[in-house]
Amino acid sequence: MEPIIAIRGVSKRFPGVVALADVSFELAPGECQAICGENGAGKSTLMKILSGVITDYEGEILVRGRPVRFTRTRDAERAGIAIIHQELNMVEQLSAAANIFLGRELRTPLGLIDNAAMEREAGELLAGLECPIDPRIPAGALRVGDQQLVEIAKALSLRTDILIMDEPTSALTEAEVARLYRVIERLRARGTTILYISHKMDEVFRLADRITVLRDGRHVRTIDRGVTSPREVTGWMVGRDIAGHEFHGQRQRGERLLEIRGLTLPWPEHPRGYRLADVSLDLHAGEILGVAGLMGAGRTELLETIFGAGPTTWTGVIRLDGKPVRFHHPREACAARIAMVTEDRKRLGLFPDLDVAANISLCSLAAALRGGLVSREREEALVAGPIRSTGVKTPGPHAAITGLSGGNQQKCIISRWLLTQPRILLLDDPTRGIDVGAKAELYQLIDRLCREGLGVILTSSELPELLTLADRIIVLAEGRLTAELSRGEATEQRIMEAATAV
Amino acid sequence: MKPSGPPSRGWILPRHELALLAAIVVVFVGTGWLDPNGTYFNAWAESRDIILRNTALLGIIALGASVVIISGGIDLSAGSMVAMSGTTCALIMMLFAAPDDRRLVTVGPLGIAAGVGGALLAGLLVGTLHTWLITSIRLPPFVATLATLVGLRSFARAMCVFVTRERWGSESQQIQVNTPAFVWLKEHNVVVSVAVFLTLAVVTWLILSRTVLGRHLYALGGNEQAARLSGIRTENVKWFAYCFGSLTAALAGIFLMADSSVAQPNAAGRNYELNSIAAAVVGGCSLQGGVGTVTGTVLGALFLRLVIDAVSKLIKASADIYEGMIVGIIVALAVTLTQFGQLMNAGGRLFPGLRGLAAIPTIAVFAGLLSMMGSANVEALRGRTVPFGLAVGTLVLLVLSAVRWWENRRTT
Repeated sequence: MEPIIAIRGVSKRFPGVVALADVSFELAPGECQAICGENGAGKSTLMKILSGVITDYEGEILVRGRPVRFTRTRDAERAGIAIIHQELNMVEQLSAAANIFLGRELRTPLGLIDNAAMEREAGELLAGLECPIDPRIPAGALRVGDQQLVEIAKALSLRTDILIMDEPTSALTEAEVARLYRVIERLRARGTTILYISHKMDEVFRLADRITVLRDGRHVRTIDRGVTSPREVTGWMVGRDIAGHEFHGQRQRGERLLEIRGLTLPWPEHPRGYRLADVSLDLHAGEILGVAGLMGAGRTELLETIFGAGPTTWTGVIRLDGKPVRFHHPREACAARIAMVTEDRKRLGLFPDLDVAANISLCSLAAALRGGLVSREREEALVAGPIRSTGVKTPGPHAAITGLSGGNQQKCIISRWLLTQPRILLLDDPTRGIDVGAKAELYQLIDRLCREGLGVILTSSELPELLTLADRIIVLAEGRLTAELSRGEATEQRIMEAATAV
Repeated sequence: MKPSGPPSRGWILPRHELALLAAIVVVFVGTGWLDPNGTYFNAWAESRDIILRNTALLGIIALGASVVIISGGIDLSAGSMVAMSGTTCALIMMLFAAPDDRRLVTVGPLGIAAGVGGALLAGLLVGTLHTWLITSIRLPPFVATLATLVGLRSFARAMCVFVTRERWGSESQQIQVNTPAFVWLKEHNVVVSVAVFLTLAVVTWLILSRTVLGRHLYALGGNEQAARLSGIRTENVKWFAYCFGSLTAALAGIFLMADSSVAQPNAAGRNYELNSIAAAVVGGCSLQGGVGTVTGTVLGALFLRLVIDAVSKLIKASADIYEGMIVGIIVALAVTLTQFGQLMNAGGRLFPGLRGLAAIPTIAVFAGLLSMMGSANVEALRGRTVPFGLAVGTLVLLVLSAVRWWENRRTT
């Protein structure tokens, strides 16, 4: 059968980097093909070429046998290709219906915008995607999972028969993921070809007919799902066979650092009324406490409340070394030797204009002063330690932080906090968006820090991560603590049951 | 060219500053060479003083603007702060002068200290007000300082009218300042204002690149939420930034008052707010925040004043009239050039599609009209301004069309 898309010898160079080198592979009509690769493997460059965002590349792309060269996204749409980006492109102030028809609004015979018709059609499209939302609601008020379906509805309304999805589940709850799988099945039943970009093996092996692996901009291979294994694919992605790391060695649990009793965080503008309700937990030195929960369960709010970064309207008791505390600013938490690595590195953690050294030294710059002024030598000496101990791979302390991979950026942020010599480390989904190899390194780092006597609270959107690292796991569901499981008791099954028990 | 954002380290100038320095040399040499009157040779001292004095005044305010911009904010109120500062200084001195002294000749050292101190204090008060509006009331910086831009000048006028009526029994919209100390300052204006400007530049450089506060300013401008979550008291950092911005404007206001021997709340310091922001931007500050250097801003201010001076010499027109156009063109050009590399790397085009086609005649018409008006005072072109303007317009039209044609060929 003639391929619906054929990519032939496509190369793309950016100054100093080869993003894609002579990549060739094909997409058969109606198939679901997964593209796997670490961050920086060239997945997103390829996407941008297929969607007409990048226009100058070498090589050839054939759609339905005809060579094409898209110069803008509309060309790709016209050729029947739609892309669901990882970061969704929504005009948050406009309604779902207006977003679906953005740029090709339906009109009344008088030439005025026909909202009624658009809302009707949008409603039908969304209903067909198990997304029974009111199409008049502003897109910004929708949950991420619903926003994504609005984008898919838009693709459908464009009569797309090739859908490219870039890590579509990265921000979804388990229920939304299940719904997305059903939507994908339905689309495939209609004959839609799907290119599914992901590095989550369970998804890939569940959905894809064939798997294409990219590494360092090169095409490693395209293979049928049936004749390979997740482990083999992961090996191709990282170029080496990574053993499944387990951290089951006995850790030395120390004295109790943190004691939380009946923590309640009100949320007046929400019908539920609270973000956290009656949460109690203990954290000891030298242990990792995992916090599981679906998106919106209150994991981030819990950490922010401890760290003094959230609203200070909470009730209950937080005791640090037995003394009640209430932090009003992260500064106070720092002084009490608590550190927090925030979720969403780019938005809440990184300083893109500062170099690697300045990103690391930021919280402890006072230690690099000489005569009241920042000394370049002292700052370099200050950051050299954590750069070495966390294994940041950087060309030098004054390299641009934006040039590092996600994993190394995250190590820089952990380094920043280690310099404050914390006793409690709060990690909010620290491996999100980080590729497989770097994840294993971060696990080792977190385990080592814990063995050195830090008390760690770790949240994660991936259950295997918590099961790998944590000594105990507490489960939140809609702001309530629904289970506390020891390592022996915890299984994915039990955690999911508790996380969905509302 | 990428403007250098992080604290500049070492002595090697980054590319943006080097390019600015080169542009300054080119403009300077070019003006000296092309000026039909040879002003730079015949009246060097006078030209030098004009350029230095104007650069120092603009530069002092631009340093404040840079700090605010690097911290991720904007201060639109500098021009009004200049007026407010001069007026405050004059009014306080008036209270220390003899009751019938309408030229403020009889002000003693105490009165001068009180006047200058009061003016600087006004700067701190306004900076604090900005910070409160921005951090507590959560107004966007643009709105908060827009309010003071409009409000402060009017406030200064009202204050002037009120105090003169109370003190002298007759209202006045301006106050003569012939205090001996200020007359001395006027005579030594160039040396003093340049010295103050350079000292302030060194202090600002030290703060920005060698102190914890400076690092926090860059961090705040680069990513405010991350800065807060890193334990930085972002409100306090902003407090410093806005106070520094208003304080520099207040300082410049005192020099401007001395320079013109009059406190004129109605006219003093108009346009300084925008020109100082322009100098900072030409110097490489990014209005997104987190990016900018003191060296860049100093060079940016010098470059702006130099070009304004050059144009007024070459076409023999009043610098006032052309100033706005020059600043506008330079800001647009400087930022275009800093982004040119990225634009080209991304496969971007200068004149894409219908918009690009429409922009070509627009630019040509402006270029033609500008050259026509500019040639009016040039000896060689007397009486031939219209053909000259037409010729320049046509030339620009042809060149830009050729660029577009070339772009089309390259991308298809």
